[in-house]
Amino acid sequence: MSLSLEHMQAAFAAALLDSSAGSVPGVVAAPDVGVAERMELYRGHLLATWRQALGAAYPVVRALVGAEFFAELARAYARAHPSTSGDLNRFGAQFSAFVATFRHTQSLPYLADVAALEWLVHRAHHAADAPALRRERIAALAPDALLAARFALHPACAWLVSASPVATLWLAHQPAGNTELPDTLERCECALVVRPHWRAEVLIASAGELAALEALRAGASMDDTIAAALRVDRDFDFAGAFVRWLDCNLFTTIEPG
Amino acid sequence: MTIRGRKALPCMPMRHTVAQPRRQGENAAMNSAEHDTGLPEAGATPLGVGIGLRAAHYDQLLSRARCADWLEAHTENYFGPGGHDLHVLTRLRETYPISLHGVGLALGSVHGYAPDHLRQVAELARRIEPQLISEHLCWGAVAERTFNELLPLPFTHAALALMCERVGQMQDVLRRRVLIENISSYVRFAGDDYDEAGFLNALASRSGCGILLDVNNLYVNECNLGVSAAAQIDAIAAQHVGEIHLAGHRVTAAAVIDDHGAPVCDEVWALYARALRRCGRVPTLLEWDTDVPPLGVLLAEAERAWRHYEAVEVADDVVVA
Repeated sequence: MSLSLEHMQAAFAAALLDSSAGSVPGVVAAPDVGVAERMELYRGHLLATWRQALGAAYPVVRALVGAEFFAELARAYARAHPSTSGDLNRFGAQFSAFVATFRHTQSLPYLADVAALEWLVHRAHHAADAPALRRERIAALAPDALLAARFALHPACAWLVSASPVATLWLAHQPAGNTELPDTLERCECALVVRPHWRAEVLIASAGELAALEALRAGASMDDTIAAALRVDRDFDFAGAFVRWLDCNLFTTIEPG
Repeated sequence: MTIRGRKALPCMPMRHTVAQPRRQGENAAMNSAEHDTGLPEAGATPLGVGIGLRAAHYDQLLSRARCADWLEAHTENYFGPGGHDLHVLTRLRETYPISLHGVGLALGSVHGYAPDHLRQVAELARRIEPQLISEHLCWGAVAERTFNELLPLPFTHAALALMCERVGQMQDVLRRRVLIENISSYVRFAGDDYDEAGFLNALASRSGCGILLDVNNLYVNECNLGVSAAAQIDAIAAQHVGEIHLAGHRVTAAAVIDDHGAPVCDEVWALYARALRRCGRVPTLLEWDTDVPPLGVLLAEAERAWRHYEAVEVADDVVVA
């Protein structure tokens, strides 16, 4: 009597997760090769897949902890948060939360926020496309109309605030960058993720800037957006921030007030 | 890096848009009631030898003249509403016929099969309008987790029934014929009702799908499981074969690993020639997924495949000069 397909897959799956499993009912290899040896190959593949998928999404975390430790982290994460999609780009969504509570990463308090930032970058890479707002549209507005207008943010735009300089850490690990590693890991920093030309980038932002972006995302007019930023930072340089946002194609559409 | 000029490209664009040549007699079988599923054919099938699309080659493929007959993209790499990968694929489709090759549907999973994944394949197919869409003869998930691995199915009546159902759903949603590929495996099952070719033939004739014959996978299975690759090729129903995959592998002490990370070996070239003799000029893909070489190395392999492809005698060859 052969095993039903359902039971075979359940037994096979259990053996993939249990390195002590020897044989699987109904499964054979070659005449001179044991099934256990072959199942070990599958287990190795799974570990490599998890390691590679997480390594692709979290290259800075990997660089910070080293390849060997990262492999263990990937193994532990995959057990705690199994992949549930055939799309591996979705694997790793809870990695930051996992790193925050994992026993062996408690000595690296900044690591969870680096992971959170990398997930924002990862998602930004695949976010929807939207044409950037043309500067002529803004130049054509009278000052009053500009203050009353509502600006829509690019779908790839995201940000976070960390107790550690995570944007600086991220920038210091970019192959083409010239950012130095931060001199201290105990400095609050705001990180802004943008995708000006297909590639996601990270910028160090000010608290006032993030307050402004929060307001913009909530649908505030530019007038209310400036007020929100000034509440956080009395010296907020709105003109400078606005030019920077335009430079990184942060806006997609403009709606008159 | 030297790219060998191919006399057929790019000065013979018509070659890519003619109907797929078939041996005489096999066309009749294709059109017989037994095989007529009412599904539209893929239309103009990309003829010739394509290469796998890898991110490392994006810039070169975008900037240089057409250098391969067609490109095969891994479907899941282009999920998501936008971004650079999808942008590149959308641009390349203006120059190259595209095949979407899925690795994530895990069609043969009793539990954990995700219709949402198929919806995303359909969304991508709507945007890209590929010439071919393919997936694997495998399972890969249980209720609470996905392994992201192509796992082997037993070749039983029950597995065939499930695969026919899932391939049927896939073809219903995509509104077209799909190709299903034989996988490489480290194990097989006692008490199979079919051999692999027999299973694929039955799946194709019952569901109306085509077969993506991976010659390297057959060879890897011969090494790992002792199943004759030549015998499987000789037993495959040639009229259903809609694409052939070629790739390299890695020989280790434990097993032959199907890593698509090396040149095609001599034994696989011989099996490819055998498959072409049996099936005619079937669109062929050179896969190279790990340790991706410079584009020129991949194109030289494609050139070698092309020489085999071109040498095949095809009775009703409709190549347009």
